[in-house]
Amino acid sequence: MPENPQSIIALAPNITELIYTLGEEHRLAGVAQQSDYPVAAKSLPTIGAYIHPDIEKIVALKPDLCIAINDGNPRDIITRLESLGIPVYVINPLDLDGIMRSLLEIGKLLGAGRKAELAADGMRARIERVRLFAARTTSRPKVLFQIGNNPLVSVGSGTFAHELIIAAGGENISSGSAAYPRLTREQVLVLQPDVIIITSMTKGENFDRARTEWNQWPSLPAVSNGRVYVVDSDLFDRPSVRLVDALELLVRIIHPELFHTD
Amino acid sequence: MKQAVVVQDLNILYGKLPILRNVTFSVTEGEYFIIIGPNGSGKTTLVKVISGFLKPHSGSVEIMGRPLVAITRRSLAHAVALVPQSPPMDVPFTVAEVVLMGRSPHLGLLSLEGREDMEIAEQSMRFTNVSHLARSRLDQLSAGERQRVLIARAVCQRAGIIVLDEPTASLDVAHQLHIMDLMEKLRTEQGITVIMVSHDLNLAAMYAGRILLLNHGNIAGIGAARDVIQAGLLEATYGCSLLVDQNPFREVPRVTPAPGEFAQPDSLHRKVFLKQD
Amino acid sequence: MRIASLVSRIFLVCTPLALILVIAAVLGLFLGTTYQSIADVLSAIVTKGRVDSTLATIVWRIRMPRVVLAILTGASLSLGGLVLQALLRNPLAEPYILGISGGSAVGAIAGMLLGFSQLQGVAFFSFAGSMAALLLILAITSGGMVMKKDSLILAGVMVNAFCGSIIIFLISLTQDRRVLNILFWLMGDLSMSSQTQVMVLAVLLIPCTVIIFLFAQPMNLLLMGEEMAGNMGLNVRRTSLVLLMTSSLMVSLTVCCTGLLGFVGLVTPHLLRLLLGPDHRVLVPACIFGGGAYLVFCDLLARILPAQGEMPVGVITAMIGAPLFMFLLWRSKR
Repeated sequence: MPENPQSIIALAPNITELIYTLGEEHRLAGVAQQSDYPVAAKSLPTIGAYIHPDIEKIVALKPDLCIAINDGNPRDIITRLESLGIPVYVINPLDLDGIMRSLLEIGKLLGAGRKAELAADGMRARIERVRLFAARTTSRPKVLFQIGNNPLVSVGSGTFAHELIIAAGGENISSGSAAYPRLTREQVLVLQPDVIIITSMTKGENFDRARTEWNQWPSLPAVSNGRVYVVDSDLFDRPSVRLVDALELLVRIIHPELFHTD
Repeated sequence: MKQAVVVQDLNILYGKLPILRNVTFSVTEGEYFIIIGPNGSGKTTLVKVISGFLKPHSGSVEIMGRPLVAITRRSLAHAVALVPQSPPMDVPFTVAEVVLMGRSPHLGLLSLEGREDMEIAEQSMRFTNVSHLARSRLDQLSAGERQRVLIARAVCQRAGIIVLDEPTASLDVAHQLHIMDLMEKLRTEQGITVIMVSHDLNLAAMYAGRILLLNHGNIAGIGAARDVIQAGLLEATYGCSLLVDQNPFREVPRVTPAPGEFAQPDSLHRKVFLKQD
Repeated sequence: MRIASLVSRIFLVCTPLALILVIAAVLGLFLGTTYQSIADVLSAIVTKGRVDSTLATIVWRIRMPRVVLAILTGASLSLGGLVLQALLRNPLAEPYILGISGGSAVGAIAGMLLGFSQLQGVAFFSFAGSMAALLLILAITSGGMVMKKDSLILAGVMVNAFCGSIIIFLISLTQDRRVLNILFWLMGDLSMSSQTQVMVLAVLLIPCTVIIFLFAQPMNLLLMGEEMAGNMGLNVRRTSLVLLMTSSLMVSLTVCCTGLLGFVGLVTPHLLRLLLGPDHRVLVPACIFGGGAYLVFCDLLARILPAQGEMPVGVITAMIGAPLFMFLLWRSKR
């Protein structure tokens, strides 16, 4: 790994976000195509989709370091880049702790160790604050976190969304070993969720339609109590600092009773 | 005179069903040898054995003095050329290309034809009068023209024996005669042995040097036309009423099938025969 | 009536095709997803990278292997389609028809799900899968003196269909981002090619190509029917087996490097046959040069046409190939 990399390529959009969090975006030579946060990142040169990066574009930008993510970037791209003499560092954030660890690792690589520690501490503090809020009540509302409409796909253990739901004091009705289980509406009716959160992994899908579809099932507590919400998928899916924003949003949705004084 | 084909105790089975039983005969070089018999008597099977396509279950076949089992396919191709009853429906080649394929057994590793091969092909096309069709596709021709092309191909193969499987089956009478004449021409001009399966008893009688009559896989008769084309033998073999008299053009028998509309074919048939005597 | 000599016909056909291939390859080196000026690329080629190492890397270690892979794949798939169309006497035959697409995909996906990457394991699994499917089909349908074409085709279709359901099942089990990797493999992808991989592939494919060229005339004879082919000196069963195994080997080897690139193997033989006639001694070299050139061109377009990222090559081969073929078909009927 190079000492002081000046020309870095972020092979996934969350890595772009992490580098911006550390204030080291001046080192970025290129980013993955979907890097759209913060807005300034959109004007950086792109190197293709993170699931299929364009090796020619990467090499043309003459990077001295590439940062990849284990779950998403194809393994071969890492081997090929290394065989062409380009060092690749692979992060593997599997949960909130993992994100903080990745932040520290990248910080060390970029000589921004202090900034990384600050950012990680900040994250930890905010997460702790949310956990304390959730601890004030023993109620654990049943949450359906829906990421696909046809078919109905939810989140299981091992996903970020699941971890956030638990941390925000909720109960994930589809927690199980499968990461993205498919549910039928019947199963949902039996499980009787108190809160339904709808998001999308694909941009631009009309999820207001999903919400009106739930309104046809007033026997669900979530529907009869008007607790069906639509949220931004990038917030909940990218392993970046914004996941804590998502957590803070989630606790407000799941436990509104704790916030009526805000 | 050398024997072109010697068949000894040939047995062929289709699964458990015997098609040819203990068939023994020989064909002299340069003979015009015609095989006749009812449907299912094993004529086509016999031809397939001689052309190397089927292996005998028992018995032996010798081609030009060498046993079939000892001849490589390529050597056999130099000895026997086949004119099948009909080629596959969808052959995309032109007439010239098909005829030229007859040179395959003589070509080298890369299968490139030389000047000589081209000339032989052109000669063969002239022989059967299909030169004007050289650029036409095989599937654009009439049945008669197609048959002549296949014969040209077989001629082009320059084999000593030509085997034809019912070459006149779907041709009009003029074309039938033309094909039979072509074979006679090959025989007399180039000494080629002609072994032909035919369904037409009269053409067989007119042209054959010897005739082989098959019935249910057995040899029912073999010899000159006057010895094989006999009413009793043919009726027993074919199972229908036939009248055999003299062909007005040659000193060979002529076969006329008796019509079957009359109420008592047996008695009428006898009356007709008695009248002839 | 003079028949043009075969050797001169082959040369007449192959020279322009080879020229087109060279032009395609050169364009493939000069053009890509990043802009490099012609002068720069020329200098990189001439000095072999002693001047600017990035440019040299791009031209020699990224674009070159990709172009060579496209040539090898285009040639193999076209030859595979040509051989199967002759063997099975069916114009719809394409190189994957005898279980290769199903078997290789199942193998590749299993490899991916087990955590292997393309170079280390997926290629091997895919090759093993396609060979297993082929051998299964041969075992079921063989017997007798000649191979029954219809049985082969039916068995191939069944195996592909069965594997198709396994593929869908495996995809449904994959509930993470590997689904997308699988999809790219299924669509065909020329980008995962290193110099070594391409060289190994070339070394393995060249003898196969030679064998098929030597069997070009037998392919002609086979079209006359098995009886006549046999009578003209061909051992039909042995010839069919050799052709089948060689072409399947070629196709399986390319598939494990590129995934399931569709349409090339079906349409290039037909295109060339419409233009050049049915003689396989002309068509075999034509498929090598023409098939290679076609895929290089399509890959080039797939790389430079889209504004963002690259299109799957299979889209371009179909979008160009189908109308081109229909036009030639219409012309030939007049």
